[in-house]
Amino acid sequence: MCSTELSEGLLSILRKLKSVPDQEVRILLLGLDNAGKTTLLKQLASEDISHITPTQGFNIKSVQSQGFKLNVWDIGGQRKIRPYWRNYFENTDVLIYVIDSADRKRFEETGQELAELLDEEKLSGVPVLIFANKQDLFTASPASEIAEGLNLHTIRDRVWQIQSCSALTGEGVQDGMNWVCKNVNAKKK
Amino acid sequence: MKLKRFLLRYYPPGIILEYEKGGEMKTKSIDLLDLTPATDIDKLVEEIRRAEPLVTTSRIQQVKYLIVRLQEKLSQQDDHKFYLFKVLRAHILPLTNVAFNKSGSSFITGSYDRTCKVWDTASGEELHTLEGHRNVVYAIAFNNPYGDKIATGSFDKTCKLWSAETGKCYHTFRGHTAEIVCLSFNPQSTLVATGSMDTTAKLWDIQTGEEAVTLTGHSAEIISLSFNTTGDRIITGSFDHTVSVWDVGSGRRVNTLIGHRGEISSAQFNWDCSLIATGSMDKTCMLWNALNGKCVATLTGHEDEVLDVCFDYTGQLIATASADGTARVYSAATKKCIAKLAGHESEISKICFNAQGSRILTGSADKTARLWDSHSGQCLQVLEGHTDEIFSCAFNYEGTTVITGSKDNTCRIWR
Repeated sequence: MCSTELSEGLLSILRKLKSVPDQEVRILLLGLDNAGKTTLLKQLASEDISHITPTQGFNIKSVQSQGFKLNVWDIGGQRKIRPYWRNYFENTDVLIYVIDSADRKRFEETGQELAELLDEEKLSGVPVLIFANKQDLFTASPASEIAEGLNLHTIRDRVWQIQSCSALTGEGVQDGMNWVCKNVNAKKK
Repeated sequence: MKLKRFLLRYYPPGIILEYEKGGEMKTKSIDLLDLTPATDIDKLVEEIRRAEPLVTTSRIQQVKYLIVRLQEKLSQQDDHKFYLFKVLRAHILPLTNVAFNKSGSSFITGSYDRTCKVWDTASGEELHTLEGHRNVVYAIAFNNPYGDKIATGSFDKTCKLWSAETGKCYHTFRGHTAEIVCLSFNPQSTLVATGSMDTTAKLWDIQTGEEAVTLTGHSAEIISLSFNTTGDRIITGSFDHTVSVWDVGSGRRVNTLIGHRGEISSAQFNWDCSLIATGSMDKTCMLWNALNGKCVATLTGHEDEVLDVCFDYTGQLIATASADGTARVYSAATKKCIAKLAGHESEISKICFNAQGSRILTGSADKTARLWDSHSGQCLQVLEGHTDEIFSCAFNYEGTTVITGSKDNTCRIWR
């Protein structure tokens, strides 16, 4: 996967906002704060991940993969800015939801947020990939356990997948993105 | 017709005549765009007297005095150094655009947090939060020169009109079917124009709150719009690579400027409405005859997309900002590049002149704003402090205060 540095000026934000041509894919990266969204984004773009601070707004990167240009929007996950997630729903092709697999205390909270996202009209039918992140930590729950806890099997209105990964080491990330590229057409017809 | 009084306009240099005609008060302006401290006053006054019947022999001394004052203003040395005055942290998400009112007493900031905030420039205090939009507040404007109203355009597809004094919402303009990304009041402050990702622009009547006309014809998103100084024409720049010139009264398309080989990023009129400058992703800026829509020059040199263009107030200079990290200044007369502004370490997204035309301000993804000498291209100051890229920046009319809006959720006042 080769990445291109994407400038994020206001104008390029508008260009990323428009309904994009066939080979461009708009991916929304959501999840609770400290789930590892920005680390994942930087891992995707092959960038340095040693100094990452909580995202107050958003980050955008473009990544080339399997003939697609993936425009990935990483949106800050702190509680007070979660109501603003819907700012970014328009024209979303794939939703990636990131979970800190080692933070059991917040499984309920993250499940609730995910359920609300899946109820959003503007995201209806959008394929969803759930990254069970931080598998490098030995306290991490396995993906199967998280899938069960979140009742993922009850999702019937779209294609979905759970993928265990470590944004830190990169393990599993590529597998997840392969799934994204394979299923992007589900929405883009 | 009876002349009532003269008003002085410093930038661009001019004299406004207030006169009575048929019991009605009217104004007209004598533009002195070429005035310099060296201009021969007697010759100029004689020219004015011949061209303007309202300026009779008995008024000549008065006009001379006004021109001297304009010349004094023009010869003032500008050595203002800017220091960080305040960091405004009230927005909880990235800022989009910023704008001053004419006097510079207050300014506004739009944000991803769906609000627009009104600020007192002198104290840095928050005066109002304009709440009601359901998505990003992207485009914002004061109805300058009056400054009593504010318009906000949002990704929620609506535009709202507000009282600048009370923060009350007068109207919500509904009709666009996609994000509103640019807007402007007409100079008379009777209309608001909005440009949208739905490929149309609309003109809205401020009094009634009704849609006046829809400008239909672009085949892709409208990204930039601007009225000319008289307010009878509006231009729209689009991702369809063209710029359209519209008659404001009828909503009819008068011209289509075809020539760019990439999306348009910005389209602007010069003060006397004779020229249009357009910036494009094709790495060039083009100049067009505003009357017949013919291209008069292609300004080249940038090695990457041109992201913003602007004229100085008198229309003598054109500045371009590029994704190549440089800005350039061109002469409108010779169409030649007279200065290259090099120093930014990343793309420049916004560029503007001060009202005097002596300074250029640039805002960049390298987290800095920079101040440049318009003629020499020398970098005079680097405004450092933002922790993420700068999306927008502006001078006040006096040229003594700068505001910068950033992705780091803050606005900074420099003075």
